[in-house]
Amino acid sequence: MEHLTEEQINKAIKLLKMRPDSKLESHLNACVHCGLCAESCMYYRAMKQDAFIPAYKVNLVASLYRRYCTLTGRVLPFLVHAKELDDKMASEMIDSLFGACTMCGRCVKHCSIGVDIAYIVHFGRRMLAAMGLVPHSLQQTVDTALQTGNNMGIPTEEFVDTIQWMEEELQDELGAEAHIPLNEENKNIIYTLNPREPKFFPLSIAAMAKIFYAANESWTISTNMYDVTNYGLFNGNNQQAGEIAKRLHDEVIAKKCKILVLGECGHGSRANRWEAPNYLQHRYEFETITAVELINQYIREKRIKINKTLNNELVTLHDPCNLVRNGGLLNELRFTVKNCVSNFVEMTPHGMDNFCCGGGGGQLAMSEYNERRIAIGKIKADQIKQTGAKVVVTPCHNCVDQLMQLNSIYKLNVKIKTIAEIVADAIVIP
Amino acid sequence: MAELIFDGDGFLTNPEVWNESVAEEIARQDGIEMTENHWAIVRIIRNNYEEKGNAPMIRTICKATGLKLKDIYELFPLGPARGACRVAGLPKPDGCV
Repeated sequence: MEHLTEEQINKAIKLLKMRPDSKLESHLNACVHCGLCAESCMYYRAMKQDAFIPAYKVNLVASLYRRYCTLTGRVLPFLVHAKELDDKMASEMIDSLFGACTMCGRCVKHCSIGVDIAYIVHFGRRMLAAMGLVPHSLQQTVDTALQTGNNMGIPTEEFVDTIQWMEEELQDELGAEAHIPLNEENKNIIYTLNPREPKFFPLSIAAMAKIFYAANESWTISTNMYDVTNYGLFNGNNQQAGEIAKRLHDEVIAKKCKILVLGECGHGSRANRWEAPNYLQHRYEFETITAVELINQYIREKRIKINKTLNNELVTLHDPCNLVRNGGLLNELRFTVKNCVSNFVEMTPHGMDNFCCGGGGGQLAMSEYNERRIAIGKIKADQIKQTGAKVVVTPCHNCVDQLMQLNSIYKLNVKIKTIAEIVADAIVIP
Repeated sequence: MAELIFDGDGFLTNPEVWNESVAEEIARQDGIEMTENHWAIVRIIRNNYEEKGNAPMIRTICKATGLKLKDIYELFPLGPARGACRVAGLPKPDGCV
């Protein structure tokens, strides 16, 4: 890292002083140093370094808060462990807050007094972003989204070509009435994708289209803006996050659709359902739901016919942090999966206490910290192994990619599927 | 052979030094023995990269090689990005890969 300039330091301190944020301040002052968070964190469990203890991450930001926002910290910094924002501090922050946290929030649930550690980590990332210190690979994914309209830089004609190809595959299976409607207006649903689907793994698009076909849904995908991801949630730049979120919001309005359905993406669901209206300070005019909730509704209302014996292999479920622990979909997800598979086994632990796949918080994009991502992923790999399952399903393409890599490295010999894929496999078309 | 520089994810950061023996070396790390089908995929990816500066869509790979999606996923179990693009000496694609 190059030396910090006065200007960089001032930008970060300005952000810190730009309160009021009562939640931030109370949580920065609340840690009682009990240490219970240590073993809850995958990084600490896998590598046993003190710098990976969640409380240590909180303390980085808290020590700056004390130095720049409290009287004692300014006058007698040593007394309250207040620290200067200098080169050493900034590089520690980059390493811990970007390089050793998936923002999975498991530590938050284990904290004896409920400090929102992930929230503080995110604030630390915002300070680093203000200084222009976001790891290159993560920033590049945000920049690609801003410049091209999707985070993989897919040109529109290549996107359309891929969708038509999937439509042909669908018609081979279901007949000529099955469609993937592009750029239609006044539909009930506008559907979104993770760009990873059209680029490399398009079968999940065909699977979701099959579900829409079976439910006789009125839906469309916009070629202008179909990207459900928003890495602005991870790079700490709320202005960029807001810009990405606004594009999707504006596209739903332009297409005059009633419901925005977020494709299978943990962070994208969180960013678009909850964070985006805050970034934009604007209450959305339309309903926003996740694909999991929609499919759940189809099953409950018997809009799709399911035969779970069509999925006979032993299936386990990976709970994406941003959909379950931090997303409220614990029961909906299980309802959907258990209705579509005949042999189901839970991981230990699962649900609210589940371990992250290891690729969350932007880790999958950050090559800089790849070794750590694979090391913490072993915890997830061991969990999967213990279930004896042959198939792992998860409603998040980011988790899918991390699980694919873990599958290969730790020789798990499982298939990794999205929820749409496992549901589509069980659908019976009358 | 010029020195190979990999990023933390094992993707080449100096893609210009890539050649077929580099491809074989990377494939070996993933436990892959290169067959004609592997080469067909890798060449399409490499040509696309040299012409357009990025990885082709999986659609382009299927069209140009005549292989089915399933075949490609089987030939490169880590997928088109972490598997095939890495062997073709591309830098890491952006996004959730």
